[in-house]
Amino acid sequence: MQKQDIAWCPGCGDFPIRAALEKVLRKLPVPQRNIVLTSGIGQAAKMPHYLPYSYFNGLHGRSLPLAVGIKLARPDLTVIAVSGDGCHYGEGGNHFLHTIRRRLDITILVCDNKVYGLTKGQSSPTTDLGTKNALAPRGNENTPLSPLALSLVAGAPFVARTFAGDPQHMEQVLREAILFKGPSVVDILQPCVSFNKVNTYAWYRGRVYKLEKQPGDRYEAIRLAESWGKRIPIGVFWRDGQFACRQGREIFRKPVTEEAVTRLLNLSCVMMR
Amino acid sequence: MEFNVLIGGEAGQGMFSVELELSETLSRLGYHFFATKNYMSRIRGGHNHHMIRVAERPVHALSGKLWDMVIAMDGAETERRHRPSLREGGVFIGTDRIGQIEAEAKDAFQEVTATSPILAGLILACLGADPVATLATAPDEPARKALAKGREFAARWGIEGRKALSPKAGDHCKLDGNQALALGALLGGCQFAAGYPMTPATSILHYFSSVAGEIPVHFEQAEDEIAALNMALGASYAGLRSMVATSGGGFALMTEGVSLAGMTETPIVMIDAQRPGPATGLPTRTEQGDLEFVLHAGHGEFPRVIFAPGSIEEAISLARRAFDVADRWQIPVFILTDQYLADSVQVLEGRVPTKILRREYPVFGAGYRRYEITDSGVSPLTFPGLSEARVEVDSDEHTEDGKITEVLGLRVRMVEKRLRKLEGLRKEAVLPTRIGDRRAATVLVSWGSNRQIVSEAVETLRAEGAAVSAAHFGQVYPLTPPMARGLARKRLICIENNATGQFERLLRRELGLKAAHRILKCNGECFTVAELVERVRKILG
Repeated sequence: MQKQDIAWCPGCGDFPIRAALEKVLRKLPVPQRNIVLTSGIGQAAKMPHYLPYSYFNGLHGRSLPLAVGIKLARPDLTVIAVSGDGCHYGEGGNHFLHTIRRRLDITILVCDNKVYGLTKGQSSPTTDLGTKNALAPRGNENTPLSPLALSLVAGAPFVARTFAGDPQHMEQVLREAILFKGPSVVDILQPCVSFNKVNTYAWYRGRVYKLEKQPGDRYEAIRLAESWGKRIPIGVFWRDGQFACRQGREIFRKPVTEEAVTRLLNLSCVMMR
Repeated sequence: MEFNVLIGGEAGQGMFSVELELSETLSRLGYHFFATKNYMSRIRGGHNHHMIRVAERPVHALSGKLWDMVIAMDGAETERRHRPSLREGGVFIGTDRIGQIEAEAKDAFQEVTATSPILAGLILACLGADPVATLATAPDEPARKALAKGREFAARWGIEGRKALSPKAGDHCKLDGNQALALGALLGGCQFAAGYPMTPATSILHYFSSVAGEIPVHFEQAEDEIAALNMALGASYAGLRSMVATSGGGFALMTEGVSLAGMTETPIVMIDAQRPGPATGLPTRTEQGDLEFVLHAGHGEFPRVIFAPGSIEEAISLARRAFDVADRWQIPVFILTDQYLADSVQVLEGRVPTKILRREYPVFGAGYRRYEITDSGVSPLTFPGLSEARVEVDSDEHTEDGKITEVLGLRVRMVEKRLRKLEGLRKEAVLPTRIGDRRAATVLVSWGSNRQIVSEAVETLRAEGAAVSAAHFGQVYPLTPPMARGLARKRLICIENNATGQFERLLRRELGLKAAHRILKCNGECFTVAELVERVRKILG
């Protein structure tokens, strides 16, 4: 993939995320043709254009219902929804909650740069309190969302955080998330070189640390998910080994028959005509 | 000869059960009938009424004449509202008699719900249904007992055979409008529906999901209408013929997805079961107020087709066709129905196509381009995971292989490619149904659910010697010149359930047809035949 084809700013955190994702997908133990990406709108949502797989790049916030429809129609496909914090947590916030609840095998990747990049630097759901920008000249007045805690409370059976500045960690976590059978959420800490002057690579590098072991239960995971500041944990926060993933039904290429419709709707009279 | 009965009461008092019992038995006995309802947006209390018209010939509308029988399940409200419309010599079943039936229900059947089948038995006795045949329709002993008990009450009150009709419909089946749409969807090869409950569309989803467990069909209840449409578009992208069904308010949320379907050329069928707006409006009443909304829904320019079935047969056949059109042309196709058609139970006399339409699964190689520019505007369609072909779909303006582009020349070619489909779509447009003598100077023009009310009105007016015919549009967009054939020099009267004459405006804009008169109604109720005849008479002078 030639770098000049890509519409991101030089140095954007999306580049290493793309590279890690490409590596992971290439080595995934599923037929390459069965991988489908969905995305919404934003810088991160351009991701599928730069990867050699089928994709549906839809509307802002709507990558998840697209993913749900694809997975329900075709359980044979490996479905990954990739978008940014604004798309998944803001415009698509309702879908984020309910896609987790649907218990389908969908991977939700959030390129979280704590700012709106495509629209030039406005507050996102994860922007820190007090951050100043063009639409919040007196500083952001909203409490930032805690994506991992939210995912855990919503019932996500796989919740992780990784960092765009650590390719190996990203690959490991992304692979584990995609292979997990159920809705998995990965919040990827990602610098925005154009609009987020605080949360830079250097800022993160001085704070992130790898979890040595997964928290013992969901409540411990939630407590850990709430920690942010001087020390920022990355890794798999919660993985429910007992999770019962909803199995999609084989519908595609299984046509409905006239006889079945007649019988089920008790409409023999219609069908005879 | 016909028999018109109204059953009124508070929500939850069992009027709907009486309608169901009665229509089921009428159907089994081979009677022609039509049933519809008028209900409030509440689960208990208020005033609802169910209207059933039984006849010795096909009937598909409310006559609007005086009632032969009024049954008041409540205290005074039904009597106050409807007794004045009871014909002289008609039967009134009021509180006293309902009390006797309820007491009997509790006594003989240990439950007050047995009132409904007893009342059905009473009505059947009153309209002269054969006693032996009636009992033979009962599925079990308690049902048989209840029907017989109803006849006993009729005999006791001296109303047995009060207005005797013969069953003349033969073997048939009955469907309501939403059932017909769900059936049409299945016949159109639809295998996926997503939705969020909203009256009066919900029962389409009920019917669809009721069969989903046993055949390869899936229904998903979405968190909101935005999600519903996006799920359906995802399923369509993945290879299933898909639909959503909602009412105007839900459709409002879907409009960004309409535009997405237009840009990504993803086949989709969207049903809008209209109810009076704006906003929440009258949630359980009828209106044809969303035509212009659906016509213009979605930002940007892209082709679409809108169907508006006017009968049960047409609901089945146009819904079936909608999936085929959406799939072949890769466009959003809309079906406009309304509460009136949705909640009307009708006997199916006509023929409907019953072969299930299926889609081919073309396979392409690695050089596949989802948006290849073609003469027809239709690009080759395949689905992910079937071959090395990658299916790349984008809501931005895109290249032939689905990548974001800002090459403006290509943008223009893509716009033209998408809009070129309209040429083909216009060629296969469904022409209006002409009713009555085409030579008549006056033509009643309608669309959607008014078709059969207008049809009976034409019959009545012609019997009086008026030179009137009708044209019903089952496809309301695109409108094509052949549709206007034989209408240009006529005196047109456009009939619509809305306040501003939306279709009349569309006719003028698209076909240059100017209606001389409009007959509009926006109180949330359907037209009755008598009412329509009266309003046409006034115009004819």
